[in-house]
Amino acid sequence: MLTWTVVGLLAIGVYGQRALGAVLLDTDRLEEHWQGVLRSIPLAIIVAVVALQTFTSSQAFSFDARAIGVGAAALCAWRRLPMLVTVLVAAAVTAAVRQL
Amino acid sequence: MKFTRGEAASLAFTYFTAGLAVSVLHVTQGTDPVVVIAAALIVNSATSTLAFAAVTASGGSILAGVFSGWLVATRFGLFAAALGPRLWPERWKRAIAAHLAFDPSVALGIREDDDADARSVFVQAGLWLCVPWWIAAVLGSTVADQLGDTRTLGLDAVLPAMLIAIIFPQLRSRLGATIAVIAAALALALVEFTPGGIPVLIAGTASLLALRARPAIEVGV
Repeated sequence: MLTWTVVGLLAIGVYGQRALGAVLLDTDRLEEHWQGVLRSIPLAIIVAVVALQTFTSSQAFSFDARAIGVGAAALCAWRRLPMLVTVLVAAAVTAAVRQL
Repeated sequence: MKFTRGEAASLAFTYFTAGLAVSVLHVTQGTDPVVVIAAALIVNSATSTLAFAAVTASGGSILAGVFSGWLVATRFGLFAAALGPRLWPERWKRAIAAHLAFDPSVALGIREDDDADARSVFVQAGLWLCVPWWIAAVLGSTVADQLGDTRTLGLDAVLPAMLIAIIFPQLRSRLGATIAVIAAALALALVEFTPGGIPVLIAGTASLLALRARPAIEVGV
């Protein structure tokens, strides 16, 4: 259960990290190779988030309808279908498989 | 690649449905609807409030819950650091815009070669996801009782699906694909043994592979 105190603490910690990250660096001081690393961080982290959201629930492995829906979405993205189609296919496939 | 209407609609749909699901969950766990709305607006991170709820629901202390909430948000700090320098030279402007640093807004912004485009796409994407997310929090926490299980609609697959659509162009380069495979493997290998947030942070080190790349085949371009 969230309380005002908890929300306040979470807000300070979360916004603090966002703001700190945003003001910390100037890319023109970084070597080109490190700029490449900086640009790859979101890719690595987002792929990890996707993997966890697809194949785990409550910090344990699980393979269910959701994984099949996300798989269908990967297929759509690979075929360069519009993002909205990809998202709707994922929901529809997941819902359909769950109905089985 | 510019920000398209289809992308705007996808962001709005995804974050609206996520906002509904998350706020319903918090209200049904006993949180005051007003606090749920406040959390959506000022914490602005569903993973943080969900991490708190998961830790405390499984017997963890309030402090442990808050710490987990911070830990899962470290990725937003890294996102802000990755895009921040390209946004504005003035640090106070970056600090304000940092509140909009989410996975998709940063990933879409960072795809742009031109700094002005990166800034415009980041701000537009950030608003197209935050505003529907805030509206959904208000709606979801007030009508929580009338909504059923959002999982029957397959909505739990929507966010990962959208993130895949956003990062897919980067997976077409060999370096991007290698980073992705290593990051996913690291996260999945660690998830059962480490606290929430840690697998994703360690997976982020896969980006160091970009050190080996020549600038011409740099990812994210």
